[in-house]
Amino acid sequence: MNEGDDGALVRRCRDGDRAAFEQLVIRYEKPVYNAALRLLRDPDEAQDVAQTTFLKAFEHLADYDPGFKFYSWIYRIAVNESLNVLGRRRPYEQISGEEADQAPGPERLIEGEQARHAIDEALARISPELRTVIVLRHFMHLSYQDMGEILVLPEKTVKSRLYSARQLLRDSLVQHGAT
Amino acid sequence: MADATRLALIHAEIDGELDPPQRAELARSLLADPATRAVREDLRRLCTALDGVAEVEPPPQLRARIFAALPQTVAAPVGPTPARYVPARSWWSAPALRYAAVLAGLVTAGTLVFGVLDGQRPPASELAGTLAGPRAAATLDTVRLTDGPVVGQVSLTRNVAGLGLALDLKAGAPVDVFVAGGGYTFRINGVGHQDGPAAPTTVALPGFRTDLQAVDLTFLMAGQEVGRATLRATSGR
Repeated sequence: MNEGDDGALVRRCRDGDRAAFEQLVIRYEKPVYNAALRLLRDPDEAQDVAQTTFLKAFEHLADYDPGFKFYSWIYRIAVNESLNVLGRRRPYEQISGEEADQAPGPERLIEGEQARHAIDEALARISPELRTVIVLRHFMHLSYQDMGEILVLPEKTVKSRLYSARQLLRDSLVQHGAT
Repeated sequence: MADATRLALIHAEIDGELDPPQRAELARSLLADPATRAVREDLRRLCTALDGVAEVEPPPQLRARIFAALPQTVAAPVGPTPARYVPARSWWSAPALRYAAVLAGLVTAGTLVFGVLDGQRPPASELAGTLAGPRAAATLDTVRLTDGPVVGQVSLTRNVAGLGLALDLKAGAPVDVFVAGGGYTFRINGVGHQDGPAAPTTVALPGFRTDLQAVDLTFLMAGQEVGRATLRATSGR
């Protein structure tokens, strides 16, 4: 991410330069859409979230604190919008801790396309909060610090959630035969 | 199954966050416990698979949707005036601004003459639609660009496949045209002609309803707005 450029573009936006905001849209359209898509698993809803994210960013640009990275701010909007959409859906089929503990022993995870599909299914079974940390860390390749800024959580909590999410995914894959 | 401490060490190792004492502690656990080794292997494979998931390209229409949703890109309300082209303000000299103000007053009074704008209606769009073949396009409205860095003309057309634009533009740099109408948006990139004679370009407007009232055009050069125009879809009916 090019923070310096982002800051300059934001300043231009605040001065009324709409083209500068279009540059930000072009820069972050793909990651914002992908984050929403991984969280929601629905391309149409991901498009809606991406559109809402940029619209809200545009409307609240005056509230943006330049002390934070712009992409952390816009990803936070995207994550919150996605979680709002998920919250309006029926309850997810969450993996409980007990189920995870009953997982069989040390099998090997399968690889390749089949594994990706299995991972996608396992992601759908964990809570949105845990799915979010997986998306931010492994799909968007963000640091703990960035994740903390986006989720408004201490890094320690971010790590703890990430470890739990990975463990549940691993146990789910083992339990569902992806071994 | 590995205990919480061992698991935390494995996760920290995957994230590259182990210090030397922790690395040594994990190494001892791995040597002593096959279950820990297996869990570590599974988690490493899982994380490798997660990291390897490729990004998806957003749908091509998403960007235009976003631009259209931004308040400042909302097209100007469609008025009763004929097709018109308004260059960006920076092109105008002070006398031209005064001239435009006078002309705006005349338009308000019901006069359809607008000096810098040429809103001639295509005289025979119905005829063209009748006599031409089924794929031929009827011209619904045309705007001529005579002032500013972009000159030429743009026509709104309609055939059995839907609405389209015929662009015949000349400019010193490639021109992007952002089209909005009836809740749909479309962006046409690089239609300007830097040198030599202009060549007409015809572009379909996928998704645009054929019964919409008008389309608004925004002309961009190097990302900067250089003018706007409105083409009415009802004039040729």
